[in-house]
Amino acid sequence: MNKPTNPPGMAPGTPPILQLRGIAKLFPGVVANKDVDLDVWPGEIHALLGENGAGKSTLMNVVTGIYQPEEGEIILDGYGQSFASPQDAIRAGIGMVHQHFKLVEAFTVAENIHLGWDEAPRIASPAVMEARTREISERFGFPVRPDARVCDLSAGEQQRVEILRVLARKARLLIMDEPTAVLTPEETQELFRALRAFRAQGNAVIIISHKLDEVMEISDRVSILRRGRKVGTFNTAECNPSMLAATMVGRDIVRRNMRARPEGAAPIATTPIMQLRNVSVCDDRGVDTLRDVSLDLYGGEILGIAGVAGNGQRELTHVLTGLMARTSGEILLDGKPVAHADPALFASAGVGHIPEDRLRSALAPSLSITSNMALREYVHPPIGRHGLYDAAAASALAGEIAELAQVNIPDFAMPVRNLSGGNQQRLVARREIRIASRVLVAAYPARGLDIGAIATMLGYLTDLRDQGVAVVFISEDLEDLLNVSDRIGVMFHGRLMSVIEAEGADIATIGMLMGGREPTDMQPGAAQ
Amino acid sequence: MATRAFQRLPTAPAGRILTLRLVAIIVSLFIIAGVLALAGHSPLMLAQLIVHSTLGSRFGLEDLALFMCPLLLTGAAVTVCGTIGLWNIGAEGQFYAGAIAATGVALGLHGPTLVILPLMTIAGILGGMAWIAVPTLARAYAGVNEIITTLLLNFIASLLTYYLTTGPWRDRISGAQVSTQRISVSIPEMWGIVHWGFPVAILIVIGLALMLSRTRWGYEIRIGGANPEAARYAGIPVRLRIISVMLLSGGLAGLAGMFEVAGTVHRLQGGMANNFGYLGIVVAVLARGSCLNVIPAALLMALILDSGIVMQTQQLSASVILAITGLILFMIAIGDELAHYRPVAKVAAGGKTS
Repeated sequence: MNKPTNPPGMAPGTPPILQLRGIAKLFPGVVANKDVDLDVWPGEIHALLGENGAGKSTLMNVVTGIYQPEEGEIILDGYGQSFASPQDAIRAGIGMVHQHFKLVEAFTVAENIHLGWDEAPRIASPAVMEARTREISERFGFPVRPDARVCDLSAGEQQRVEILRVLARKARLLIMDEPTAVLTPEETQELFRALRAFRAQGNAVIIISHKLDEVMEISDRVSILRRGRKVGTFNTAECNPSMLAATMVGRDIVRRNMRARPEGAAPIATTPIMQLRNVSVCDDRGVDTLRDVSLDLYGGEILGIAGVAGNGQRELTHVLTGLMARTSGEILLDGKPVAHADPALFASAGVGHIPEDRLRSALAPSLSITSNMALREYVHPPIGRHGLYDAAAASALAGEIAELAQVNIPDFAMPVRNLSGGNQQRLVARREIRIASRVLVAAYPARGLDIGAIATMLGYLTDLRDQGVAVVFISEDLEDLLNVSDRIGVMFHGRLMSVIEAEGADIATIGMLMGGREPTDMQPGAAQ
Repeated sequence: MATRAFQRLPTAPAGRILTLRLVAIIVSLFIIAGVLALAGHSPLMLAQLIVHSTLGSRFGLEDLALFMCPLLLTGAAVTVCGTIGLWNIGAEGQFYAGAIAATGVALGLHGPTLVILPLMTIAGILGGMAWIAVPTLARAYAGVNEIITTLLLNFIASLLTYYLTTGPWRDRISGAQVSTQRISVSIPEMWGIVHWGFPVAILIVIGLALMLSRTRWGYEIRIGGANPEAARYAGIPVRLRIISVMLLSGGLAGLAGMFEVAGTVHRLQGGMANNFGYLGIVVAVLARGSCLNVIPAALLMALILDSGIVMQTQQLSASVILAITGLILFMIAIGDELAHYRPVAKVAAGGKTS
């Protein structure tokens, strides 16, 4: 075992607060973590960066005793430990604040702090608990109102209660999962101040995030996970957002050119099928989730959309498929402006949509496979005629889709939720490809699939391209994007950064765009 | 490896549910017989009496059909609403509203039965729809929980009926208490005291089953109930579908009220809904979301109701009847849950477990 070298400014021989050695966590069919080594030193804020599904949360659940690792060891202050439960972990000084708060809403702040705490006085009046809470709150510098009910507090205040709950139990290592997701910018700054104060007392913080600017601002060191493995640990001072983004999505990319068209394939059309003109979307909170996006979709072309998740990809998908109304701008289908968002209208115009969360938004889990396969075509003959629904025609269609998707189905009347996730995904993809005569919008179609299934899925996309369909391929996997796309656009903070030709695109440029920097020496070959 | 003797299946086969329900009913009958014997009654004599006055005689069968008629319609009302994932707890109130509207037509207009009866039918349906209209709009446009709104309106409808039958519409001819005078038109009888509303109710239930499984509207309702997000994804106007389903549901319960007024009671009476609206919920739960199942479920419920009345004539109190009803439904619920389990074959310990 290699000894960790102490960072500068620390007495030699000081052990890290937390050391992970070769951690592996396996779920049926999925490797969530493998060979993960991590050192967290006293007095540091350590950021854990990675895409959705990179294994950040799983790793932290292993550290806090929610999951048991299959391999590897957890070393605390130089001694090996194993935690059977989160209670064991907090006794050893490791506390976690989850993304979704675990507070009792009907209880007061003081009651929540004392809940399940073995140091709570046996007989405690509200006054005693509130006095204790006030003392704790002042000691750690997180102001709270001890007598307020949790349901009356803002998200930021609730988070402070969660943190105090952990700190009151003498945590020396605080783990925070996406702490800023629910906070306003001011609350974020308050949190960061408090975390720095906590660090100054010789404690450590692990902060899970995929927001690059925040990682740059708050962390001392950053470890990047990709597909369950650690890619590396870096001193934040030596990093920049572009480099972090590029490392996060992949460096050792195997380039395979899937752009070559077979004989007889449709060429890239000269007039666009769908056009977005300065489209913006503003959500309920008043945040601009899509800003001034202009885009042309041509038949026979695959447009890849790269970017760190949560930068407007979901909104772009929904605008392109009629699920979300735009706040301003214009959408043109075949040159004609679309009056209002209507998914049925887009579907009958030949726009297919493989959504990000298939089970939640594209399937009715409790209904039969047949009913689910008819979802896109029940209006049209042969299934729909004169307002009727032809069940026999629907099962014929379901059989056809299942055969193309190569999914073996014993009984089409059984609920679709009885199928495996991979099979559900294949069926949805095939169903959408059937109606995608003009455009297919595929959001993360390869997520959660094994390598063979990913290749099949990418094959579907290139087949559609060869038939003259405009394909929008949204993914967080740069390798897949570079291999099949003709052009690649990068999303950042709701904006569509430059759209570049995939052929000669280099990772550094894309990384820079993902970090929000427009490269000044961009090749003029970029489309648009 | 821990050996478990039983495995829970996500979906229970219909055949197993039916078998276990029969077992549940038989077991509860034995329990009831035991308790009644301890209390000094003769279970055998009671059973004979009940069978004779329900299934065993023409008069009993006629009575059963009269009980089934409103249960079919209120059960269908709750089932249809449940298809889109909503609970209409207000069939009782819509029943009264339909009965009031139909009675209003009968008391206010005079003419041949052929004219008045269709008008009463339309009024009954519209009355039920009107009673569910506010909960419907609140649900569709403001997301207000329909369970509370439909439930609370029941009490208003019931009190309104008491007001009308003791106030402006009270019987001034024969002086009957809490009742209007006998109305002059009635649904013709087809078999003894069974009126034509009974076969019509059966046809309506069958028609609804076909509508839900064989029309575009029915398909959209089913998708909307199973996953509203998928419905929006497919471009189904969920809000409009909610409105149409809830109004249909209210209309069905209102029609039940009209049938009761024009076919069975021949007048509007306070308390005449007789819990048919609430029992419609029980029927719908027994039917497990399927319209066709409403028919046997309504039959079972009618049997229980009818048996209860027979037992009341034998000096058993109304609370005992309620307890018996509860016991049977409770045992059926246990049977439904047990239907999900199947024994794991012993040889399958290491191999296939399907």
